[in-house]
Amino acid sequence: MDIGFIGLGLMGRPMAINVARGGHTLHIWARRTASLEPFAQFGAHAHVSPAEVARHADIVFTMVADAPDVEQVCLGEGGIVESGKRGLVVSDSSTIAPAAARGIAARLAEHGMHFLDAPVSGGEVGAINAALSFMVGGEEAAFAKAKPFYELMGKSVTLVGAAGAGPVTKACNQTVVAMTMLAVAEALTFAKKSGVDGAKVREALLGGFAASRILEHHGKKMLERNWKPGFKAWMQQKDLRIVLQSAHDLGLALPGAAVASQLFNAMVGSGLGEEDNMAVIKLIERLAGLEE
Amino acid sequence: MKLGFIGLGAMGRPMALHLLAAGHELSVYARRAEAAQPLIDAGAHRCATPAAVAAASEVVFTMVTTGADVEEVALGEQGILHGARPGTVLVDMGTIPPGTARRIAAKLAERGIEAIDAPVSGGEVGARNATLAIMAGGKAEVLARVRPLLETLGRTLVPIGPAGAGQVAKACNQMIMVSCIEALAEAMLLAQRSGVDPARVKQALSGGSAASRVLDVFGAKMAARDFQAGVEARLHHKDFAILMNEAHALGAALPVAAQVWQQLNALMAHGWGREDTSGLLRVLEGASIGFSSARQPSGSPQERA
Repeated sequence: MDIGFIGLGLMGRPMAINVARGGHTLHIWARRTASLEPFAQFGAHAHVSPAEVARHADIVFTMVADAPDVEQVCLGEGGIVESGKRGLVVSDSSTIAPAAARGIAARLAEHGMHFLDAPVSGGEVGAINAALSFMVGGEEAAFAKAKPFYELMGKSVTLVGAAGAGPVTKACNQTVVAMTMLAVAEALTFAKKSGVDGAKVREALLGGFAASRILEHHGKKMLERNWKPGFKAWMQQKDLRIVLQSAHDLGLALPGAAVASQLFNAMVGSGLGEEDNMAVIKLIERLAGLEE
Repeated sequence: MKLGFIGLGAMGRPMALHLLAAGHELSVYARRAEAAQPLIDAGAHRCATPAAVAAASEVVFTMVTTGADVEEVALGEQGILHGARPGTVLVDMGTIPPGTARRIAAKLAERGIEAIDAPVSGGEVGARNATLAIMAGGKAEVLARVRPLLETLGRTLVPIGPAGAGQVAKACNQMIMVSCIEALAEAMLLAQRSGVDPARVKQALSGGSAASRVLDVFGAKMAARDFQAGVEARLHHKDFAILMNEAHALGAALPVAAQVWQQLNALMAHGWGREDTSGLLRVLEGASIGFSSARQPSGSPQERA
């Protein structure tokens, strides 16, 4: 099938490659043309605009940074809306606010196109290993068309509800991830300041109720002081802002997420924004008077 | 002087009346026509659009709720931009994001129109008594021109810096004030749950290091369980979204303010947005259920009615 893919960064590149490996023809566009080069070997067609991608594709996937980028790609000048056929399915896996997703869905619907908000969890590793989790909002029929492609890129695919349900689920996901990241960072710093071996603490905890994927993977990397970015701190900061803005609009108190958001603010403000979000442990260590 | 005033709500109305009482000629506009009536009765001219107000005025004051409202009034199709002459001054006294204030000032400057952001602290009482604390951002020479007018409205006027700086000061003001209200509410809860009279505790504290304006004003309201709005809590809720967005953009950690924001969210969820921010006490009481139901919040809107 002819598949459009827009946004070929840290996450988008491996996702698109997994679709190409499934035997599909890719039509691609990226803001930086250098991002297009790795796709020559897959016989992908590079286009000059999202509109051109849409003209050639049956389904278009997008993976860009923020809501304004998604809006630009879908609705802006040279955007998908200009040339997508009626019935075109557009699936966006960026992390944006539920309200923004609903707005884009409504605008595309005016042109007979179907928008699926399909954010993912699993990070770069999940994208490379086709092990992402898709949480999708939108219409059932459109979801059915996109599902086989989600399955090429991920392991778990859930249609959560109508438009906006994907970003709501992603916001829930980020709430849990950010606070768990912080909890693991605090626990390992507790151990360190107490003169107890963090690696042993982690091992002990993995057998009990505090066991989690974050303790397992990120806890290990924190102990190894391996800060190679998968999911950068500034991205976590951005996602928590979406969480807290939505909470504000809903009249919903999220005290834990609020604390976490401030620590990620501090990361960005103190020059740690480009590091992985697990480097939040550096802030906790600093507060504990533990220098690196 | 020929002045304009746009936004004649709980704050704007008494402020506009002070300018009129000081002998100025006043043109007014309000989205709801009836809001302008007390001013018309007092001798102000009614205008159909913000642009018409600007065309008739040397200085235009605005006191509307959100950044989007100010943008519409200043730059919209029928906005000040389209009625003002070069040299006209816009003085916005609402609380809006610093970035919005900077953007409006830059846009107006393209046409030679001056802008001052001059948010206030002091609430409705301060507006009525002309005792507001005014914090101003904008060019010094422009501020000098409007200073006598602002002194008609407030007791203190502090120039903070360039465009947007007044709004930064206001964000700081809101952060401290509402965080203090939350601290006070927690103290009142502690006293109450300990079986001690919160009013006595408040009285004792007034003489010591915890003394503050917030303790005086909001402590009295909490002790009397009077949750009728001085300033409506929904406005503080709105302000917190502004200041937490600034914190995000700046990469600044404001952990306490972030918590207070969540308590305000909970207050909104209870439907208490149009009551006083001292209602933060009721949020805490709700979160401590399982204690004595006899001490549950009173003074709900129904009871007051």
